[in-house]
Amino acid sequence: MTHAFSPISVAAGFAALILSVPTASAQQTYERFGFAQTERGRYIAILGDCAACHTAPGGAPLAGGLRFETPVGAIISSNITPDRENGIGKMTLKEFDAAMREGIGQGGKRLYPAMPYPAFSNMTDEDIADLYAWIMAQQPAPAQINSNELKFPFDIRTGMIAWNMINFKPDAFKPDPAQSAEWNRGGYIVEGPGHCGACHSGKTITMGDKSSEHLTGAIIENWVAPNITGDAEAGLGAWEEQDIIAYLKTGANRFDIASGGMMDVIRHSSRMWTDGDLKAVAVYLKSQPGRSGKPLAAALPETDMRMQAGARIYKDRCSACHFDNGEGYPGLFPSLAGAGSVNAEEPTSVLHVVLAGSRAVATPAAPTGPAMPSLGWALSDNDIANVVTYVRNAFGNTAAPVSTEQVATARAALQP
Amino acid sequence: MKSRRMTRRGLLTTAAGAALLLGFGKVSAQESRPVWMPFDGFPPADSMAEGLQFLTPDEARTVGAIVERLIPADALSPSGKDAGCVDFIDRQLSGPYGVFSGQYREGPFQDGTPMQGDQSPLDARQRYRLGLAALDGWCRANAQAAFADLPEDRRDAILADLETGKITLDGIPAELFFEQVLANTMEGFFADPIHGGNKDMVSWRMLGFPGARYDYLDSLDIAGTPLRLDPIGLKGGPSWSADWVPPSAPARKG
Repeated sequence: MTHAFSPISVAAGFAALILSVPTASAQQTYERFGFAQTERGRYIAILGDCAACHTAPGGAPLAGGLRFETPVGAIISSNITPDRENGIGKMTLKEFDAAMREGIGQGGKRLYPAMPYPAFSNMTDEDIADLYAWIMAQQPAPAQINSNELKFPFDIRTGMIAWNMINFKPDAFKPDPAQSAEWNRGGYIVEGPGHCGACHSGKTITMGDKSSEHLTGAIIENWVAPNITGDAEAGLGAWEEQDIIAYLKTGANRFDIASGGMMDVIRHSSRMWTDGDLKAVAVYLKSQPGRSGKPLAAALPETDMRMQAGARIYKDRCSACHFDNGEGYPGLFPSLAGAGSVNAEEPTSVLHVVLAGSRAVATPAAPTGPAMPSLGWALSDNDIANVVTYVRNAFGNTAAPVSTEQVATARAALQP
Repeated sequence: MKSRRMTRRGLLTTAAGAALLLGFGKVSAQESRPVWMPFDGFPPADSMAEGLQFLTPDEARTVGAIVERLIPADALSPSGKDAGCVDFIDRQLSGPYGVFSGQYREGPFQDGTPMQGDQSPLDARQRYRLGLAALDGWCRANAQAAFADLPEDRRDAILADLETGKITLDGIPAELFFEQVLANTMEGFFADPIHGGNKDMVSWRMLGFPGARYDYLDSLDIAGTPLRLDPIGLKGGPSWSADWVPPSAPARKG
């Protein structure tokens, strides 16, 4: 069989033709800011993971519409395409900067700190300007977003003025001259555009970041965002720099595979970071002390009845993939031994994956995206309490036992 | 902007490209990953059922009187009735199996040769409904009592005659009815307890079958030693409870 031309190359060429036609506004923006600045802005948008919140599944890029349920109502991400009516097309650089680094939107409207402007206040003038250039070069989308379904009094945006007084000190990232350039670059990404603390830092009662629990883990949307400091026991102590890099770049390393909210971070953001930035972030995170100060629980003895029953359930239902030693299989089955989400004070993530199951992230570098089956239908709340208690106290893990009531609460919170 | 001349070659290429793009769209939709959903556990639909789903109480009583003779209680195991075979059969009949939904059922229906297998137009529900009624009718006419009220040895004799076709039932061949109940009784006795039969995994204990386990990787080094694993079903087993005590003496030789 012979072909005059490959059908695939024709199709690819046809697609390229469509994609390569720049929009009028993009053309103007290139002319206004230049290609180099727009390209730098594209990378800032990747570092900042704008798409994770501002692109809804199946929706136009950056057109917003993603819902975030909070205890006081829903916040819906806004349209940040350069559409002049429904997006941010009319924003000047100065207004864009105020939104990014001060939380003040168009017309002086106060933004909710779901938009992590406290972190973005660490960003440099140059990065803000580059990001502005890139956003203005994107395809405008007419999606009209009502971004606020909060309950009274939280629906009154001026309330954020008070919030800001308590929780927000706009402050550019201050490089530490005693540290390497690499460490400082990592710090800038983690504290600034990467806004890692938005999920991984403990929160005060007003949902501000708790400075004493900086990067030491928190509960968010029924997952544990684990401690990502260099703390030997509670944090990333067991992970070498290379493990952190592999996790951020591919979604998987020899210990773990990303699931929960971190999947979006990897898919839309960190897998596209430069190797230099990945290394810098790893260096910075490893240097962070685990400052939570909470004492670790002592492991339950093997003779505990919950441990005995849990061990038998583990053997029958878990060991096929996670193995008797809890170490799993690199790249396929996460290690339970020493895992931050397993040893976390709250068993939120473990209960989440046992009850509802989970599909891990799939990236071009690690495309399998293995799934944990839901065991919620086959295991009773009591069975799950015992097996999770066992997993949290076997293989060198130490964490508080889990009660049947905790499982029932988690089940009720997760069940669709 | 300079107007482009549409050449014949260009038109064909564009059309082919467009067709391919459309085609690729379809292909990629089919090749995309199955959608993963939280709580996707696929428990059998019948696993949560309570009470009779298809059989009437009288029918269930007759089925019980049959299955406790097909699998009588003895030193090895309890009876098919006590093992839950009636529940198993009732749940299966209420589900897709009851109407043989996995089979071609449009006919034509003709008597085939024995090699051609089951050619009956009756689905499983009809076989039970017709067969049980006909059996009771035959028993009332010839033994002056419902089947379930007859003594064990009389029931055994009647079942033997059904199997060989010595008895003629109204509306259904006796052998067909007997084969149907016998097959479902064995399925209920040996299937995972999640389906209603094999209560407490009695048949698995009888056989020494350890149940639904993934592998025996950790047992490779102790070849030749009986494992004596307590069986587990899809929803677990007694060994999952905290107060479970391992059986001290082996029940059978390994």
